[in-house]
Amino acid sequence: MKRFLLPFLLIGMAGVAQAQQPAATVIAVPPLTSPDGGNRGNEMLAVGWDATQLIVSDLRQTAELMPLQPNRDDYYSYPEVTAPTFSKWRSKGAKALVTGFVQSRSDGRLTVGCYVYDVEKGRELARKGFVIAPTDWRRAAHKCSGLAYTAITGAPGIFDTRIAYVAETGFGEARTKRIAVMDSDGTNHRYITAGDAIALTPRLAPNATQLAYVSYAGGKPNVRIVDLGSKQERPLIPTDAISFAPRYSPDGSRIVFSMMQGANSDIYIVGANGGLPQRLTTAPGVDTDPSFSPDGSRIVFESDRGGSQQLYVMNADGSGQRRISFSGGWYASPEWSPDGEWIVFTQRSTAGRRIGIIKPDGSGERMLTNGPGDEGPSWAPSSREILFQRADVAGRSGLYRVALEGSEPRPVTLPQSGSDPDWSGVMD
Amino acid sequence: MRKTMIAVALALGTTAAQAQIHLPTIIPLSRGPQQPALQGIDALRAEFAAQSGGTTVYFGSESVILGAPARTVLAAQAAWLRRHPEIVVRIEGYGDTGDTRDHALAVGARRAEEARSYLLLLGIPAAQVSTTSWGKERPGLGRTVTVLVR
Repeated sequence: MKRFLLPFLLIGMAGVAQAQQPAATVIAVPPLTSPDGGNRGNEMLAVGWDATQLIVSDLRQTAELMPLQPNRDDYYSYPEVTAPTFSKWRSKGAKALVTGFVQSRSDGRLTVGCYVYDVEKGRELARKGFVIAPTDWRRAAHKCSGLAYTAITGAPGIFDTRIAYVAETGFGEARTKRIAVMDSDGTNHRYITAGDAIALTPRLAPNATQLAYVSYAGGKPNVRIVDLGSKQERPLIPTDAISFAPRYSPDGSRIVFSMMQGANSDIYIVGANGGLPQRLTTAPGVDTDPSFSPDGSRIVFESDRGGSQQLYVMNADGSGQRRISFSGGWYASPEWSPDGEWIVFTQRSTAGRRIGIIKPDGSGERMLTNGPGDEGPSWAPSSREILFQRADVAGRSGLYRVALEGSEPRPVTLPQSGSDPDWSGVMD
Repeated sequence: MRKTMIAVALALGTTAAQAQIHLPTIIPLSRGPQQPALQGIDALRAEFAAQSGGTTVYFGSESVILGAPARTVLAAQAAWLRRHPEIVVRIEGYGDTGDTRDHALAVGARRAEEARSYLLLLGIPAAQVSTTSWGKERPGLGRTVTVLVR
């Protein structure tokens, strides 16, 4: 009885805390089953149970879905995966259902099948199969969570994605700043750079196999590319000039970045594998923090050409530059949302630094956080929440998540202090 | 107007100097006949500071424009550098700690570059002065520029 009551209780509490937020969709997650028999079948059922629990954990983190607590006794037979008993789940309050199977293959790999249903209408919403190495069951479960999330909400799921950030340890002269990467649920945490040189602003390539970042290894800040598998590094371009603020184009083929020439910082674009940089801005002063629109046609950036830092949008070839922020204060570090609807930014004023959003045409501006030590916002691939950096009163920096609807930011658990977060897109 | 600061310090040698290691003696790069006698890096720094009227140059808050006091210090530093053409210096600029990461980095670079331009205007060879920026990566040194003798 308890397991039926608990989800409803949680929904009720969430409703009080955020009255304007729509109620979450209750989703049943019957354990993944297996067509295999004997010992092999038991092994597959064990993998399926682990995957089921991970799916529930994934979906519980979202604002939109509320998974029922899974029960090992609810195993379906293999044929029932494609013909679930909707009436049973309706009576438990579920409006959606996700389940599937794990099957062993003769080549030692596993097939994971995933099915999503509308319980009220009694029809299938989506299905997807994955062939994976047995050690990759977590990724398959994340994919299954993403399939359910997308089928129900229409937005990309955040489950099989990566977060890169700067891991900070020590203080003063002993402080180290190095690049770390982890899965968005905090697992598979690993350090990419050694920590012997200050590392800043990691920006993942769309396929998350490499990232661009700023390194002080050569004595002055310079954009470098590091392969996440081999950890091999190279400078983005062979230059002695200060270069910084890199970001990939949506197709991963190009990188926009800032480079100093004399006392002037302008925005340049270059192939991700190198080549001759093309200059996109020429205004005196600081043009920096460029970020592509998801279709690659436009770039948002910050510039102090008008006397104070403001947001500007231009075409990807540098033409048509125009200011979009006019509400007072200073605007910095913009990032275009994956769905193209919003631009997130850091606003700086005498009250400190806060995170806000604005439409690409300059309308609809509103603040999402109160600061005073917030900066470095990065969109979740769902375009529904934002990861950012917040300094506490002691000056220690951590990562937080805040929903677009507005809510109290939630801290992200890290092994140490962190800054400069970057959330990858959904990987195929 | 609130003043912010550019500090100018010295170091000798190449990489050892950047690591702030105390060197009892140095072997200067052979450039010109009037090389200083063998000195400790700290002695050279002290001499630079004393004869330049300080190692710190001040900017207005959020500003990259050199004020009159800043130009006075830089002029004294230029005079010292003219007497020591064998000494190569690096100007390290710092942004404001309340700024955002990349803008602070750019502002630090601009401050360092403005200081360098003024030294060049006063006749210091370009090859004798390089620049870099620490942005807001060294909070204790926010709003400063450090010149390292290399």
